[in-house]
Amino acid sequence: MRRLLACLLLASSLACSDRSSGGSSGGTVVIGAAADADALLMPLVEGIQGRIVAELLFDRLAEIGPSLNTVGDADFQPRLARSWRWSPDSLAIVFELDPTARWHDGQPVRAADVVYGLAAIRDSANGSPLAASIADIVSVTALDSLSAEVRFANRSPEQFYSATLVMPLPAHILAALPSGALRTSPAAHAPVGSGRFRFVRWEPGVAIELATVRDHYRGRAKLDRVLLSVSPEMAAGLARVKAGEVDVWDPLPPTEIGEMAAQPHLRVVTAPGFDYAFMAFNFRDPRAPARPHPLFADLAMRRAITMAVDRQALVRGIFDTLGLVGMGPFTRTQSTADTTLRQIPFDRAAAEALLDSLGWRERGADGVRRRGGRRLTFQVILPSSSRSRERAAVLMQEQLRAVGVEMTIDRSEFQAFLDKQNAGRFDAALGGIRTTPSPRGVRGWWTSTAIPGGGTQNAWRYTSAPFDSLIDAGLRAMDPERSRALLRRGYQQAVDDAAAVWLYEIKNGTAIHRRLVLPPWRPDAWWLTLGEWTVDPAQRLPRDATPATP
Amino acid sequence: MRRILLSRLGQGATVVALVVALCFALIRLVPGDPFATSLEHETIPAEVRARMLQVHGLDRPIPEQFGRFVLNAARGEFGWSHSRNQPVATALAQSLPPTILLMGTALLLGWIGGVALGAWLGWRGDSPATRAAGGLTLLVMSVPEFVVALLLVMGPALAWGLFPIGGMRQDFPAAGLAGAIDVLHHLVLPALTLTLLVGAIVARHQRRALLEVADAEFIRAARAKGVPERRILVRHALRNALVPVLTLAGVLFPALVSGAVLVEKVFAWPGMGRVVVEAVLRRDYPLVSGAVLVSSLFVVLGTVLADVAVAWADPRRRR
Repeated sequence: MRRLLACLLLASSLACSDRSSGGSSGGTVVIGAAADADALLMPLVEGIQGRIVAELLFDRLAEIGPSLNTVGDADFQPRLARSWRWSPDSLAIVFELDPTARWHDGQPVRAADVVYGLAAIRDSANGSPLAASIADIVSVTALDSLSAEVRFANRSPEQFYSATLVMPLPAHILAALPSGALRTSPAAHAPVGSGRFRFVRWEPGVAIELATVRDHYRGRAKLDRVLLSVSPEMAAGLARVKAGEVDVWDPLPPTEIGEMAAQPHLRVVTAPGFDYAFMAFNFRDPRAPARPHPLFADLAMRRAITMAVDRQALVRGIFDTLGLVGMGPFTRTQSTADTTLRQIPFDRAAAEALLDSLGWRERGADGVRRRGGRRLTFQVILPSSSRSRERAAVLMQEQLRAVGVEMTIDRSEFQAFLDKQNAGRFDAALGGIRTTPSPRGVRGWWTSTAIPGGGTQNAWRYTSAPFDSLIDAGLRAMDPERSRALLRRGYQQAVDDAAAVWLYEIKNGTAIHRRLVLPPWRPDAWWLTLGEWTVDPAQRLPRDATPATP
Repeated sequence: MRRILLSRLGQGATVVALVVALCFALIRLVPGDPFATSLEHETIPAEVRARMLQVHGLDRPIPEQFGRFVLNAARGEFGWSHSRNQPVATALAQSLPPTILLMGTALLLGWIGGVALGAWLGWRGDSPATRAAGGLTLLVMSVPEFVVALLLVMGPALAWGLFPIGGMRQDFPAAGLAGAIDVLHHLVLPALTLTLLVGAIVARHQRRALLEVADAEFIRAARAKGVPERRILVRHALRNALVPVLTLAGVLFPALVSGAVLVEKVFAWPGMGRVVVEAVLRRDYPLVSGAVLVSSLFVVLGTVLADVAVAWADPRRRR
């Protein structure tokens, strides 16, 4: 009888605790990663692993909604800011913070934390990758303890998105640090956050453990724990997924997707990705950058090369159904994408005719075209770390050989590749870009303001005044429809200019343990929904029963 | 003996200084810098990278940087690791114990096993069993270590579930004795991979050395005097045949701290090998310099220890 009573008491207490936790199912998710996080504070983060952890530990003022639309504020969801209002001139946004929001040490989240969030990005000694993205923000001011005003230099369609990139940081812990000391401070390695998961431990090169925050202002996460577990060797990491030691692996190599999907305890989620690859032509002579490139300054030559490449066959050969032919300087997942753009078609006969018309008629014994005794040959550089780009290069080499063009391949270690690319020491570069939901990256990669020395990344020196002005106008237009239309015209210009051979976009495959029940997938940042993931009670593993580390 | 020791230490100090200086310069001369990968992002202006280089003193001439490194190293400060976001001393202190545990286990077991196997191979002479064992050692030496590691991952770990696939302990580690047993459980496969390799190398050296002394006059004399075979092997033959194997041990000793990159990577073992390779790839100059300093110190220590051991085994060397 006494035992029965004890059982009843235990059952009722368990039922109560479940209710108090908002229907939590508990459980643990182990995320496999091939590399460790580089940093845990958003202003310092460069790599994807660091971003995952930082975005679980910290909440933003507002979060992009499921539409991934970054224009205006209509599709954003409140987070630390429960509401916001625009100034009459649209040059400022006042965020009203949720008074129930707390840092993980119990201190309330205040407007001063938003002010410090901007200061941490702006401190040049921190070298924040976000600095350029928030260049249009003039200031953040604490109007009172719960109201922070973000003021802008200009109006732009993505003003609100810019403001949400300023992630509030705990000023009561970090503000006293001297300039540049953020990266080396103990608080950067054991951060006090505001998200639904709190920091537990970080063993560099091994694992990062997070635990749920029980009394979070947005409600307790349904999981108990999240662990980022590092497996530097891909094969061993995937073996851990197959063995059930790891619950999530993202992204899967395309060659592994079939085998992972065949595992009874796994499912594979495939979703359009944010990565695209291309072969960019150098518009400047690698030996004398002041001069135009002897081959690729000529639009007809670029178009001939583009027409000689069968991108459809190339994508099918490398990715089967897990890749899509590239369409321009964007991915289909971006809201400004346009799949109706007029493409330069694959047409070997037309490519040969065009090369003939350029004077490259003679062919040597090796089958390579010649003009005035000079062979039609160029070198493409690529990083040896990218297997897909390497395969793409080999396939293109064969396709170009068929029209009498010799393409030699120069594989380099990643940093050496970057060094060559940024110094302009190449004829063509097989590049890859990871975009974001925002279209603004196109300015940083492809406009002439981004040519090294004048800005950031247009290492191939593509210069087109119409393209620059269309992109600039598109990114400044306040009306979303007009913005999209202008950007699409800009993309069309880049395609018509044959600024690059737009090779492929990759669909991401993610392996996930079947016991996990997921909300709708967010392709740009699946981890942001981790708080809503649950564990099927019938399939719980021993690690799901282990209580979260106190 | 003291003279030998002092002479070796003097040579060692010179070697350490040269190696550290050379690596310090070479890593700075290869393309890239600790912040170059940041440029892969479209939103990072070049000024940010320039500013970071300035903040960390990496825009100064290499001799000036080296001078500062030497002064700081003398104070026990090795700087900040950009790839691991922690002080170099901490990164080394965290990664050295796992490497010493893994490599120490593998070298000890491999050396003991290799000497025993090599002695048996050399003393037993030609037979089907020795031919098979000899072929096996050759096979182990021919197969790249990461292939052996992957085979062990796919078999005993993944297919049979006998051992964990990677890491040094469980994701949620236990404390106390259970924690120690857990580490040993994780140690089995990576240590076995390296033990097989070290054992095969040592065995082949030992076999050859023993074959050279097997027909020596002092062995024949011992047999003629009726000394039992086992005693001849252990007291006479093996001691004389140990010299090349002890020298080999000195060569292998620095691996205690340099680690085994591929095996550490396959088994996600958090040791020095992995740390150094990642540091080189990310141009983490301070960590590379710190690791090279520690490794070269162990090279010198290994050489000195090998010389001392050889002098112990062969009195003629003491002169």
